Amino acid sequence: MHIPDGLISPQTYLPALAVAVPLWWWAARAFTRQVGDEALPRLAVFTALAFVLSSLMLPLPGGTSGHAIGVGLLALVFGPWVAFLAYTLVLVLQALVMGAGGITALPVNALAMGFIGAWTAYLLFHLLRHVQADFAVLAAVFVSILFSALLVALVLGLQPLIAQGPDGSPRFFPFGWSVTLPAILLPHLFIGLAEAVLTLLIWRHARRRCWIPAACGREA
Amino acid sequence: MLLSHPVRFALYLSAVIAVTLIHDPRVLLLVLAGLLLLSGSGRPALLLRAGRPVLWILLLLSSGILFMGWLTGQPVLGALLLINLRVVVLALLTAWMVRDVDLDLALVRWPRARRWLVIVRGQIQLFRRLAQDYRAAQKSRTVVAPTLQQRYQGSATIGLAALDKGVHNAEMVTQAMRSRGALHD
Repeated sequence: MHIPDGLISPQTYLPALAVAVPLWWWAARAFTRQVGDEALPRLAVFTALAFVLSSLMLPLPGGTSGHAIGVGLLALVFGPWVAFLAYTLVLVLQALVMGAGGITALPVNALAMGFIGAWTAYLLFHLLRHVQADFAVLAAVFVSILFSALLVALVLGLQPLIAQGPDGSPRFFPFGWSVTLPAILLPHLFIGLAEAVLTLLIWRHARRRCWIPAACGREA
Repeated sequence: MLLSHPVRFALYLSAVIAVTLIHDPRVLLLVLAGLLLLSGSGRPALLLRAGRPVLWILLLLSSGILFMGWLTGQPVLGALLLINLRVVVLALLTAWMVRDVDLDLALVRWPRARRWLVIVRGQIQLFRRLAQDYRAAQKSRTVVAPTLQQRYQGSATIGLAALDKGVHNAEMVTQAMRSRGALHD
């Protein structure tokens, strides 16, 4: 789902950066408050796991593949602010190590996947966990992925409208919403399902190991 | 290069932003030539490293642009060149930065971020190594390729084991560093 460098106009990434910087600052404060030296190694491991999950290609119908995101897991275990910051690090590493995503696209990717993804997963989980915890995890992760994918599709589809040459030719991403919405959302229906099941598996494991303080002790 | 790593990193960030402000394919072509010239020895490897992650995206985008041009009958060569060149220049800049900038040294003023980065990088290597071990072990013990279900089950098992091992490993490293007074930041 990552948007690479060169496809997002400055008219998009500069305002996105202006929104992301105060959110990163606030997230850093939350991080300092919530994560002590004891939890830092665990957070680092989960951040690495999110990195691995987002490098993991999932087979899709039609012979194609897509990748998981992993931010839902971070949000459920560490909360949305820490997850946002940790996922930003994942995006930085992916941009600088694997060439997936990019530096100019970082604020947009971080807001779409890190912020919206983490907060959607966190809020939906807390809304639904009284119904059934496992169902809450599945629904929270699935919907969060669709929300993130929707935002990425909207941002990409906006590019030909706001960044054109004098002759009307596109300067950055060339296709509008009629292409981006189905092309990005449809595969993520399958990716969302697969990632929701993966996250549930790891979340239950983390709960058994008492890595989620709020849920510790509830396991029968 | 005599520049310090934080300066190199700042230069890279500035160059990336500057490239997104250039909309003339001829200028981007000159920038690409300049980058290849300045990047020193190992240019083919650098170009390969830059091209690999963006190749499929560019092929997909380019065929889409050509198809749209064919449908509408409008000239698309300019847009095609501009988008391809910009993505390649940015990918080349990033590949060069990855090769010649040590992020540990670039982040020297932010010790907590640096420590986090080091632990995360270590864990990524650990996960990769465990996955490779598992794949090699499975391959050496089976004569037929595993089914998709077996692959998923195997991945889940190794994933959870790797998670346990990763947490244990990271906690041990942190405790060892603390006992040696390395975490008084």
